[in-house]
Amino acid sequence: MSLQISILTPERPFWNGQADEIILPTETGEMGVLKNHAPIITGLDVGAMLIRGGQASGSKDEWNSYAIMGGFALVKQNQVTILANEAVSAENINPEEAKEAFESAKANLEKAEGVKEKVEANFAYKRAKARYQVVKVLKKI
Amino acid sequence: MALRNAASFLGQRLVGAAELGISAAKSSAGEALTNAFVTDGVRHASNQAVKQRIRAIKNIGKITKAMKMVAASKMKNAQVAVEQSRGIVNPFVRLFGDHPGVDGKSGVTVAVTSDRGLCGGLNSNITKYTRALLKLDAAAGESANTQLVSIGDKGRSQLMRAESRLFTYTFAETYKVRVTFAQASLIAEELLKNNPEVVKVMFNKFRSAISFKPTLATVLTPEVLEKQLTEPSGNRLDAYEIEATHERSDVLRDLAEFQLAATLYNAMLENNCSEHASRMSAMENSTKSAGEMLGKLTLEYNRKRQATITTELIEIIAGASALMDA
Repeated sequence: MSLQISILTPERPFWNGQADEIILPTETGEMGVLKNHAPIITGLDVGAMLIRGGQASGSKDEWNSYAIMGGFALVKQNQVTILANEAVSAENINPEEAKEAFESAKANLEKAEGVKEKVEANFAYKRAKARYQVVKVLKKI
Repeated sequence: MALRNAASFLGQRLVGAAELGISAAKSSAGEALTNAFVTDGVRHASNQAVKQRIRAIKNIGKITKAMKMVAASKMKNAQVAVEQSRGIVNPFVRLFGDHPGVDGKSGVTVAVTSDRGLCGGLNSNITKYTRALLKLDAAAGESANTQLVSIGDKGRSQLMRAESRLFTYTFAETYKVRVTFAQASLIAEELLKNNPEVVKVMFNKFRSAISFKPTLATVLTPEVLEKQLTEPSGNRLDAYEIEATHERSDVLRDLAEFQLAATLYNAMLENNCSEHASRMSAMENSTKSAGEMLGKLTLEYNRKRQATITTELIEIIAGASALMDA
């Protein structure tokens, strides 16, 4: 319980709590934050964010996952502030739905023609992928 | 008229009754009153007109009461959304600070107003403050590059008249379905197209159901921000290491855009909620005034009605007694 984490979205404060470790989907790849991390501002890509040892989970080694639709993360003095466009908790995602959405988004992406369609399809694909990944992680762990 | 004819007819029938001392006086009084009735009809509104007015005011009262209840329920919904959207603005203020007094070479001023009227003094308040802000900016010497943007139709109509030369964009009907963050992001992107240094957003902050204050939110672009944050001990932002594929300036620029979108989203929600609260109290006042007016008019109507009846009675009696004497 060493990190103080707040996940904020424009619509509402998504989650406030404490955890031991957090893995962020940054633009340069996955980045883990432990206690006493150096202060950092980084941009987040659309992807899965994992939190270990949070209050929501039972034991210290349990991971919770959330799908983040892009945003920013600020880390300073064991305070992690995540500003996300949208955030969904893994528990709130229906696995079959997520898988279907992922498959159809992938198909759409391959079918897409023209810049506008490609951009939209890409975005939808990334979203569906994030949700699907998050649900997969939850089911495995 | 018919009553008067009946009265004279009756009077003719009652010829030969006992003489009443005051009959003479009564007859002349009756005539005077009759004359008064004929000429008075032109001087003040006939009872028919008053009755119509009463009906109209009653209808208006019903409409304003309904509007008040609708506004109250909308406000309750909006309040929840507002309180939750405030959370995301705080980290930015904590990180970047609030610098309303910044002088930037080029700026955009956004006035957030409502689309529909009948909401009290909200929109004229915003217009007043926006014009004052523009004057301040002009005095500080950077009026040349200030753009004026209005969100909401009311702001457009009011500001167009006042400061038409500075006007660039209007965004209307944002509240038609629901304010979404996507809308706010789109507006933010539009605003930042010309790379302004400072964006000032003027909106009504929802403090409570009876209190909404015009508030100014300032969002700075990274360059100006860095200048502001440079304290003697060094740039506050330098405490953070910025990790990204792009350069630091790109990350900061994206962050500033996100901040603007979040600020606009919050501003639009707050203004929306304030609009409903203001409309609720304006309609409440309307209903109350309508009720008072209704009471006064009803009294006047009844008084007139009774006066008319009394007049007719006196005529009959006068006519009857006059003919009784004759």
